[in-house]
Amino acid sequence: MPKSLFVDPAELQKSGGIKFEDIPVNQYQKTISEARGEFSDEALKRIYRDIIILRAFEHMLNQIKTQGSYNGVETSYPGPAHLSLGQESAAVGQAYLLQPEDIIFGSHRSHSEILAKSLSAIEKLSDDALLDVMEKFFDGRILRSLESIYTAQNVKDLAIHFLLYGTLCEIFARSNGFHMGMGGSMHAFFLPFGVYPNNAIVGGSATIATGAALYKKCNAKSGLVVCNIGDGSLGCGPVWEALNFSAMDQYKTLWGDDSKGGLPIIFNIFNNSYGMGGQTRGETMAYDMLARIGAGITPNQMHAERVWGHDPLAVIDAYRRKRDILAKGDGPVLLDVLTYRLSGHSTSDQNAYRSKEELEAWHAADPCKVYRAGLVNAGVAPDSVFETMLNEVEERMTKVCRWAADESISPYADFKKDYFIIERLMFSNEKTPSFGDAVPKTLIPKEECSRVVQIKGKSRFAFDQNGKAVSKMKLYNIRDAIFEPLLDKFYEDSTLVSYGEDVRDWGGAFAVYRGLGEVLPHSRLFNAPISEAAIVGTGVGYALSGGRAVVELMYCDFIGRAGDEVFNQLSKWQSMSAGILKMPVVLRVSVGSKYGAQHSQDWTALCTHIPGLKVCFPATPYEAKGLMTAALNGTDPVVFFESQRIYDMGELFHEGGVPEESYELKFGDVNIVRRGSDLTILTIGATLYKAIAAADILEEKYGLSAEVINLHSLVPLDYSGIVQSVEKTGRVVLASDACARGSFLNDVARNITELCFDFLDAPPVLVGAQNWITPPFEFDEFFFPQETWILDAINDKIVPLPGHKDTISSFTAVDQLRRAKAGV
Amino acid sequence: MAETVLMPKAGISVESCLIGTWKKKAGDSVKIGDILFDYETDKATFECESTADGVLLEIFYADGDEVAVLKPVCAVGSPGEDVSSLRPGGAGSADAGAAGGGGSATSDGSDAASVATDGGSATGDDANTAGGANAPGAGANAASGGGFASAADGGSDAASGVSGNGTGAATDAKVASGGGAGAAGVTSSGAAAASPRAKALAGRFGLDIGAAIPTGPSGRIIERDIRSLDRQIRQDGLPAQSAAGKASAAAATGSGLNIGCANPAGAASGVANPASAASGGAGSPDAESKGYYDEKLSKIRSLIAESMLQSLQNTAQLTHHHSFDASAVLAFRSQIKNSGDGGGTISIGDMILYGVARTLKDYPALNSHFLDNTLRRFTGVHLGVAVDTPRGLMVPTIFDADKKSLSQISAEVKTLAEQARSGSINPDKLRGATFTVSNLGPTGVESFTPIINPPQVAILGVCGTVTKVRQAHSGIETYPSIGLSLTYDHRAVDGAPASRFAQVLCRNLEQFTLLLALG
Repeated sequence: MPKSLFVDPAELQKSGGIKFEDIPVNQYQKTISEARGEFSDEALKRIYRDIIILRAFEHMLNQIKTQGSYNGVETSYPGPAHLSLGQESAAVGQAYLLQPEDIIFGSHRSHSEILAKSLSAIEKLSDDALLDVMEKFFDGRILRSLESIYTAQNVKDLAIHFLLYGTLCEIFARSNGFHMGMGGSMHAFFLPFGVYPNNAIVGGSATIATGAALYKKCNAKSGLVVCNIGDGSLGCGPVWEALNFSAMDQYKTLWGDDSKGGLPIIFNIFNNSYGMGGQTRGETMAYDMLARIGAGITPNQMHAERVWGHDPLAVIDAYRRKRDILAKGDGPVLLDVLTYRLSGHSTSDQNAYRSKEELEAWHAADPCKVYRAGLVNAGVAPDSVFETMLNEVEERMTKVCRWAADESISPYADFKKDYFIIERLMFSNEKTPSFGDAVPKTLIPKEECSRVVQIKGKSRFAFDQNGKAVSKMKLYNIRDAIFEPLLDKFYEDSTLVSYGEDVRDWGGAFAVYRGLGEVLPHSRLFNAPISEAAIVGTGVGYALSGGRAVVELMYCDFIGRAGDEVFNQLSKWQSMSAGILKMPVVLRVSVGSKYGAQHSQDWTALCTHIPGLKVCFPATPYEAKGLMTAALNGTDPVVFFESQRIYDMGELFHEGGVPEESYELKFGDVNIVRRGSDLTILTIGATLYKAIAAADILEEKYGLSAEVINLHSLVPLDYSGIVQSVEKTGRVVLASDACARGSFLNDVARNITELCFDFLDAPPVLVGAQNWITPPFEFDEFFFPQETWILDAINDKIVPLPGHKDTISSFTAVDQLRRAKAGV
Repeated sequence: MAETVLMPKAGISVESCLIGTWKKKAGDSVKIGDILFDYETDKATFECESTADGVLLEIFYADGDEVAVLKPVCAVGSPGEDVSSLRPGGAGSADAGAAGGGGSATSDGSDAASVATDGGSATGDDANTAGGANAPGAGANAASGGGFASAADGGSDAASGVSGNGTGAATDAKVASGGGAGAAGVTSSGAAAASPRAKALAGRFGLDIGAAIPTGPSGRIIERDIRSLDRQIRQDGLPAQSAAGKASAAAATGSGLNIGCANPAGAASGVANPASAASGGAGSPDAESKGYYDEKLSKIRSLIAESMLQSLQNTAQLTHHHSFDASAVLAFRSQIKNSGDGGGTISIGDMILYGVARTLKDYPALNSHFLDNTLRRFTGVHLGVAVDTPRGLMVPTIFDADKKSLSQISAEVKTLAEQARSGSINPDKLRGATFTVSNLGPTGVESFTPIINPPQVAILGVCGTVTKVRQAHSGIETYPSIGLSLTYDHRAVDGAPASRFAQVLCRNLEQFTLLLALG
């Protein structure tokens, strides 16, 4: 929505047509003899070696899964084996030119990609660098295990064994795995060789890889990003969001000269014709030829082309040309790499969807055979040389398999001895004020920002010295309290970027970011497309690549559009990587009001339910600033809930108002807003203010003194303050704007019941919104908890309030049963 | 050398597969990749390809057989080769080696060794057969289990009725229906519900939680009720109490009188004790310095103690709690109170004595003495009336009460009580009762378990007046209610006749003027 881009009606109404260029299909047709000038014989032989290492690896797993043994090594494992058997040459071709700093992301079928990229990196890294990698990885633990059983011929030989052993241990769930066996087959990776996470969610890597490319671009890091996904993923919305996100016009039209150009990413689609058993071309997809979709994304058609992946040299050729395009800043690129999976989707695949003839035809085209025959025919070496190589590879694989299968060499994580292994991995809990070493890019000094000037003139407490309320316009509010630490962080951490819908020129839909556009270049603050999955998914990729991101979803209700990215990606990568990856992402979501059923929901329960997310919901400026500061200094993913009802609320409670200097609130602490002795009211979000109103009535009308505690942090949550209060009062009401059924407060109520049972004078009572759609704002009082509802709950369930007449809500047992039975 | 073809492992969790149909038969030539047979897992049907070239020498399992994965299914080799060592259970097979039997390679041998699955099911059969012997017992258990389960279901339905305040019970508790709804009424208005905090506090203060007056939602005792009970007790002081109800509170606070109000005799004695203590050494300097004083048991105290203990140890007594709508007796009481003539002194207790005497004559089972091997039924009603005296509990008798008028009974009770308190009572008047009434109503007791005076077989406890609610045509209405606690000796009387007596007594008291009219 930038003013610099004129939307011209005269231009838009001109007639004309859209022109397309031909998209190349299998243009590389050189024989090996013809290619011998470009590749040394050693290189050509190494390509073969890499192909058969990959093949041997997949064959080994196939044997283990179907026979329970491989070359005499009896073993098995219960986890998945989505084999890329048959797809090896495409992976080797892809990796051939990639540099160690180039990084790849993959899918659930990525063993070949991992090994090919790693073998390529091993080839290119010096011996010293390789030793350094192995020595430093888990403090050399895996290397020590390997050295105790194997004497390597040289460093590269050691590195190859290290690679195969670490990967197989990961698949076998052993603690010598590259992430201690916590990820397994579908999530294996090894950062030092440029192998980034693979993903069990189809197409899951698309947004994450795009975020990694954004990181490289925004932080001027060298190297490109390859996103390996399958043809089956082209049916997934988030993949399309990623394609568009990676190619947004603004990179060329609005971003500064130092960051101009599309993202350095190649969407490498390994097109094996099947999404599990569904045939893509001809059955489930509409594109006919996959490479066509590039033409739907950008005018340059994403430089798309189709490549015959069974010829490793054809893939190398494509990567040579595409790499140059990315270097010129003209990414992204889309490659449709044809390949074929000779094994089943998994070992329970009965091949119901393809004929024996089809399989035989592809076996005949198996690159292991065809490429080898080509080498022999071109005179690179006699066939016996390749036979010897094959035997060596199999012999090595047998050794590695024996080591990985042997529990005395490769033990499992010992949960009996240490039950808390995974518990420790759930959060990194570190404090890292800055991830960057560069000077943060800003446009003007912080003090000159109009918002900073404006905030300076505001009162940081809601009442003046005489106790008189300060007018809203002059009051430092929750918007300011979120803005302030964020602005500070932009001047501290050069990696910090922030994006979402309408965050720049508009200043965020609710004006939290107003003024931020003055001080930050587009590369640090930009409007994202309306692509919630891509907004969160790229944030995940950005953070696991080494940066810090604050991404915004505008309305909480839009979390549904980013479900996988929030629930499967943002939450899981720290622990699935055994702590190797950090996830410093703050995901801002705003709980609406006035906008009806799809714009007013408090979904804290969904986020708190998912292990691996920190969740907070500040309701006062003091809480907002302290929590945002803590979130921005931390290394964990935080879902930061805000409420549109109270953005303009000043600080009513914290003595002295909101401090100007930076401070953190500890995640887990609670905010005791008002002390009391007869009753505890726990709140989340804007309901705090209803609770305060209820507490006033209780005091004035019924002589009951209520303690009001706001839970600004939901995960983690330290119950000690709550327990202390409930032990004192014996009575507790829990209130929030979330629909009552399944609300997070139910969890709190359960814990209180268990922790304080003998102190309870009544059951903990929950006051939530009705289990209905949110009606229009005109009927707010019938849907959202009101102070009178809190009184009703107390009267019906805790202690009768003399003379109190229940309002519309009802907390009687009869009504409770009726509503549950009706599902409302 | 012949080879075996193994049953493929068709999935991570697949342990065994069913052979569908063999596509080849023994003697056929097969090549690697030829389809030998199809087989099923719980998920899908697959085809098994030959993994060897040659002649299909022997098929070990037929169509429909279940075969563990990775076990030999057939042998392929050159015609005439000996495959005995390849058969499941054959000499060369690991399974058979352990099983011994020499791997005779007969069909018996292979059956026996079709290993774990078959063996397992055989054992199962044996177990079943063996189990047959126990079948009747098991059946009985199952039946009783079932009965219990349904009872429990009924109970839980009734319970849901409780939480539903009766309305829910009507819709959901089909099994419990009437009973459930009744239970709902009782439980929701009963004194059982107390918050954990109230219970904990009562425990800490050493208070009897039942003595608290509930003010929480649905009649729940909450913290403040325990605190006000505690306050009341401390304000009222401990030793010089005159009301038995307070004595019970005193007992709970740790004075050592654990009998409490639940025991009529005990309650009365509970009063007697501190009263005599007050006249004894409670206020003496010695008691103050030591914090206690000793008191030798009086003769009458010893007798009471002995008698009460004997009663509890040697009879099979239990108590039923009933209540009656006291509107009629209260109306009659105010009528005679206002009438101004001599009837003004007739109390509710007198009316109940009259009602008991008139009702009891139709229930000789309760108007009896239990002697060694005899039940002595009395034709006349001789009512024992428990009287609280400074020396302890005394029970003078109104002989032939069933033949005396209300005013006669009223007058006689007053005289006897006075004589008992003053110690001038004729000892003959302290014997010969056939049934006893103990009235703690004025003290506010809501229910208790009076102790029988053997050889009598029953005693009636009279409780205080409380306001209750009931469903009426016009909605909910309140009415005054008096509780009656009937303790009887189950050796002499069964529950049903005892309850019938109490029921009829309640009805008679509810129609008191009618009872009077009938004489």
